[in-house]
Amino acid sequence: MNKIIDKIIAEKGTTVDAVIPILQAIQTEYNYLPTEAMQRVCDLTDITAERIYGISTFYSQFRHQPVGKHIIKVCVGTACHVKGAMRVFDAFKRELNISEDNDTDNEGLFTVDKVACLGCCTIAPVVQIDDITYGHVQPSKVSEIIDEFLNTDNTPMDSDASVTIQNKNLEGEIRIGLGSCCIASGSSDVKGELEKSLKVNNINVDVKQVGCVGICNQVPLLEIHKNGEAPHYYTKIVSTEVNEIIRKHFRSKNIFRRLKTDISGFIDNYVIKGIPVSTKKYSSESTDTPVAEFLNGQINIATEHRGVIKPNDLKEYSRLGGFNSLKKCLLNYEPDQIIDIIKQSGLRGRGGGGFPSGLKWEIVKNTKSNSKYIICNGDEGDPGAFMDRMLLESYPFRVIEGLIIAAYAVGADSGLFYIRAEYPLAVKRIKEALYYCQKDNILGNNIMNSNFSFSLSIFEGAGAFICGEETALIASVEGNRGLPKMRPPYPAISGLWGKPTLINNTETFSLVPWIISKGADSFAKIGTEQSKGTKVFALAGKINRGGLIEVPIGITIRNIVEEIGGGIPDGKAFKAVQIGGPSGGCIPASMSDIPIDFESLSEAGAMMGSGGLVVLDEDDCMVDIARYFLAFTQDQSCGKCTFCRIGTRRMLEILDNICSGEGKPEDIEILESLAYSTKKGSLCGLGKSAPNPVLSTLKYFRQEYMDHINGSCRTGKCKDLIIYAIEDDCIGCTKCAQDCPTEAIEFKPYEIHIVENELCIKCDICRQICPVNAVIIR
Amino acid sequence: MIELIIDNKKIKVKEGTTVLNAAKQLGIEIPTMCFLDGMTNHPSCMLCVVKDVSDGKLHPSCALPANSGMEIITNDNEIFDARKEALELLLSDHVGDCEAPCRPSCPANMNIPLMNRLIAEGKHREAIEVVKKDIALPLILGYICPAPCEKACRRKQIDKPVSICALKKNVAAHDIDNDTSYMPKKAPSSGKKVAIIGSGPAGLSCAYYTLSHGHHCVIFDKNAQPGGTLRYDIPDDKLPKHSLNSEIEIIKKLGAEFRMNIEINKELFKSELTNQYDAIVIAMGNFGDTNLVDFGFKSTKYGLQINRDTFEVDTTGVFACGNIIRSRRMAITSVAQGKSAATSVNQYLKGESIQKKKRMFNSKFGKLYDSEFEEYLKEGSDSQRIELPDGKMGDFSTKQSTKEASRCMHCDCRKPNTCKLRIYSDEYDADRKKFLFGERKKIKIYNKHNLINYEPEKCIRCNICVEITAKQKESIGFTSIGRGFDIEINMPLNRSISEILTKTALLCAKECPTGAISRK
Repeated sequence: MNKIIDKIIAEKGTTVDAVIPILQAIQTEYNYLPTEAMQRVCDLTDITAERIYGISTFYSQFRHQPVGKHIIKVCVGTACHVKGAMRVFDAFKRELNISEDNDTDNEGLFTVDKVACLGCCTIAPVVQIDDITYGHVQPSKVSEIIDEFLNTDNTPMDSDASVTIQNKNLEGEIRIGLGSCCIASGSSDVKGELEKSLKVNNINVDVKQVGCVGICNQVPLLEIHKNGEAPHYYTKIVSTEVNEIIRKHFRSKNIFRRLKTDISGFIDNYVIKGIPVSTKKYSSESTDTPVAEFLNGQINIATEHRGVIKPNDLKEYSRLGGFNSLKKCLLNYEPDQIIDIIKQSGLRGRGGGGFPSGLKWEIVKNTKSNSKYIICNGDEGDPGAFMDRMLLESYPFRVIEGLIIAAYAVGADSGLFYIRAEYPLAVKRIKEALYYCQKDNILGNNIMNSNFSFSLSIFEGAGAFICGEETALIASVEGNRGLPKMRPPYPAISGLWGKPTLINNTETFSLVPWIISKGADSFAKIGTEQSKGTKVFALAGKINRGGLIEVPIGITIRNIVEEIGGGIPDGKAFKAVQIGGPSGGCIPASMSDIPIDFESLSEAGAMMGSGGLVVLDEDDCMVDIARYFLAFTQDQSCGKCTFCRIGTRRMLEILDNICSGEGKPEDIEILESLAYSTKKGSLCGLGKSAPNPVLSTLKYFRQEYMDHINGSCRTGKCKDLIIYAIEDDCIGCTKCAQDCPTEAIEFKPYEIHIVENELCIKCDICRQICPVNAVIIR
Repeated sequence: MIELIIDNKKIKVKEGTTVLNAAKQLGIEIPTMCFLDGMTNHPSCMLCVVKDVSDGKLHPSCALPANSGMEIITNDNEIFDARKEALELLLSDHVGDCEAPCRPSCPANMNIPLMNRLIAEGKHREAIEVVKKDIALPLILGYICPAPCEKACRRKQIDKPVSICALKKNVAAHDIDNDTSYMPKKAPSSGKKVAIIGSGPAGLSCAYYTLSHGHHCVIFDKNAQPGGTLRYDIPDDKLPKHSLNSEIEIIKKLGAEFRMNIEINKELFKSELTNQYDAIVIAMGNFGDTNLVDFGFKSTKYGLQINRDTFEVDTTGVFACGNIIRSRRMAITSVAQGKSAATSVNQYLKGESIQKKKRMFNSKFGKLYDSEFEEYLKEGSDSQRIELPDGKMGDFSTKQSTKEASRCMHCDCRKPNTCKLRIYSDEYDADRKKFLFGERKKIKIYNKHNLINYEPEKCIRCNICVEITAKQKESIGFTSIGRGFDIEINMPLNRSISEILTKTALLCAKECPTGAISRK
């Protein structure tokens, strides 16, 4: 072991700020952090025992116990939650006989874990076993999934070999999206099949992998661009259909073609199971297709060239105008001029707070210091939000360009990307992009032959939502527990290592090149009086067409839900949208005509947040939603200040009581008053905004709280307040009895079945499996 | 220099001064717990919040830099409520008792655990002092007290309660047998005379404390010998007369004048007592047995009506205590009331306003979980309860008393008077139960260090100790483990407390704002 640890230390350094990278490396090696390994680190570096242990227990990425051979990660992000993720989690533990206090089965084969958000919200509920992602998982499918996992050869499929054809006479181009969510939906499989099919048929087409298309609800998505024909979209395809599609468009040839392997591709080892098969073909000329409707009304600035651009093809990015803005800045503009442009554009921080970016840049610029830093905040921790991930994965060069422009404007000499370790693809693509930039003199000394020199590196976050808060983020980069500090002083004046530091969100930086190239006015024309430009949202939940959208600020909720999102599935009634994740709030359907901008949202009790937008329908319990978000923030509180550490916990306990039918009428008042004092008395944004989901639901859905206290949850979401029953429609098919994990339903062929409530654990399997919907919740 | 306004007062301070320190310069005290000058851990407790008038928001003053033109309010209702709520939240996560459960359940509020510890150390003289501070007749009560304290004793949950009553009796008997029995230090003579009617437990107790306050005391009783119910209702085989006499003797030695065979009637009361005495205490036993109705005092259906806080009847200078105000079964209640009445009499005679002595805020967490027995037993010996030989009539040997006393588990806090959480909870009248919703945390006690004890569940996570151990270059220091609600300040990598506190133990105990780290 010592050898391995020594090697890690040699690589990562011996200073205190190496502590997180060292621990990450140890965990990669052992799957957990052996005590002896940590002790070895203390012996050989400046890192003390109290630091290493304080850090390893603060960040949720780190484990102190060995884990099972395979790790089952059940996503409990917002979209998965509203689609029953907890039942799936319980089902896995039940299936593997794992007791409540444990996370690993007796054989040490599986460890079951919850994960905040895998960002595959559109195929919720989602489960990952090792590197394999399963979508639309239901409790009744769990044993099947485990069997299948164990019986399948899971060596990752090598999709690395991207096929490019040397011959110039291409018949066309086939585009396939390869963002994390696309991959999770089976795009890799499709791509593999596509390449195989092209090879077998000797068809001369360019297969181009593009970044996230945003239309996550329709993936895997193939776009066929054939010379002289309007492009065609194929949505939700599975690999077995690929051959047929290809043959439809291209004629097979027999001539041998030499194939070349392009090694610049990526290893994307995901396959997908359980996606409903529904291949649909649309021509891009029709306007009433799901794809067209989804894209209609969106404006692509941060996501410019969406679905066209290959994520880390520097040449293509440059060909499409990339880095022209940077060149313009370096050659033609003084830093102050750039700051003026940003100010005039009205750009406000996209991380949630909405602070005017130009002003922030100006403060950093005007603070005198021999060195300054710049940080791209990509620590997107909200469940139900994956905008930053998508931007980093799909448009790495754009973010880098925005960042370098900002660095030049404020006079920073080095900077870093702070990216969640849960986003491996984003980390990988930024890493590659940085490499290409360095090679092309876009980073480094005398960038583009100017006098400006600047370097960029990556810091991987270790799993702490609080590190999205800028002072906590800085603490973590410096090798400390991610505790926020009192502001002032603001990082713009005294940040990383006490130096002036500009911290902006990923999306903010990605808007900058467009503003420079198109002009401040063009940007300021979009949006509202006080909130300019566009905002990227992750649209998920009970919506027909979920995905990533970039819309002008000021668009109404109704517009997003009904037009872009195509309304609520299964004819259910639209109830509310949850905007802004754990810091945001729920806005009822009745208010869906309010414009989405910083001010209107906070007036309504929500928050722009970083852009999660989860649609809720009549089946969603608002008390449960409030509890869900509070459970998240409570768990993510750093624990520094009293109100957040204990206040959020007590609020959660009250909500637990209310949801389990043990609430008292006076609890609502205590909850509300504690929510207000937690807002008032907390130190940082996390605590100050944590009560928002509670306060907004109390404001708009108070009656639901009262109903719970009176013993009923009308949506049937709160387990302790419901019972299962089987109605006379039962045809006696015995499916429910066969699948019931607790034998609460007796096996009675051709008779009406009965649920024994004493034995029932409310896992919902019977209701899902019943072919005639005879199982109901009371 | 920076000029700002705090509570409408202007002040100039150096740049970089916090609002907390600026206020201090103005003589404005802002409560703090997590703050310690020179440290960087704060703010965390949020007790020091003040209001910035410009935005109306609350900010922790310990970390708020004073700014030119700033206007600060340090105390209004909103600030008071926020501080109180911060305290209440901290209390909801504070698993520890200020007082051991036995003490508040003793009507006389005697410091039982302290007595136990002194006995265990063989310090009987110090022990009797502790006892007599609150109980004037410990030997007598040693025979007849039903010992409500033992019903509350934590040890009862584990095996059997500590024999508190017998220990107290042992201390008292030890003292009486001694050549020089303990006599309380008497205040200089005030020249005032107090008449006490009745020489039962309430009257005797009242006399004991009144005498020690420096007043002359005359006790009237209708019977031939003093003691009231103690002598005439309790048989010799329950309370031997020699024991009764010996404690009365101490009161006599203290200067009490007994006037026996005098039944106070209305005339005598009006003519003699009211004229000749500066204060009168009525302690003549059960109301029904007396002719008090004639005296013209107001009464309730239970007895004489008094001000419950001051023991005054509706006539100035006249007090009442014991069964006369309401018949109780326990002599200890009368003894306790005798002391309280004496305190009021003393205040009255000194011309002070008569105030009930408010009991200080007391955090209590209730029963132990079974899994915590082991933790609590770390502080007490695991020996079996020793019963008094011969029922309540016998007495412990010194060896037995030491052994029995060492069963006490030290439930009381070691910093009852310096814990800031207690002091401010008292000041802000915090409700410790307000936020008790979920299950409380489990108690752990680290007592292996030779100088201090560490009890993590009394910690408010201020991190002062973490910073002290780091700054004083302990080779391994305390660290914060975990995150959020589950944070615990503890030893990293399974080190022991002795390993991490090699030179900072006493400093940590001193600076810890609660009883979490305390001197042994």
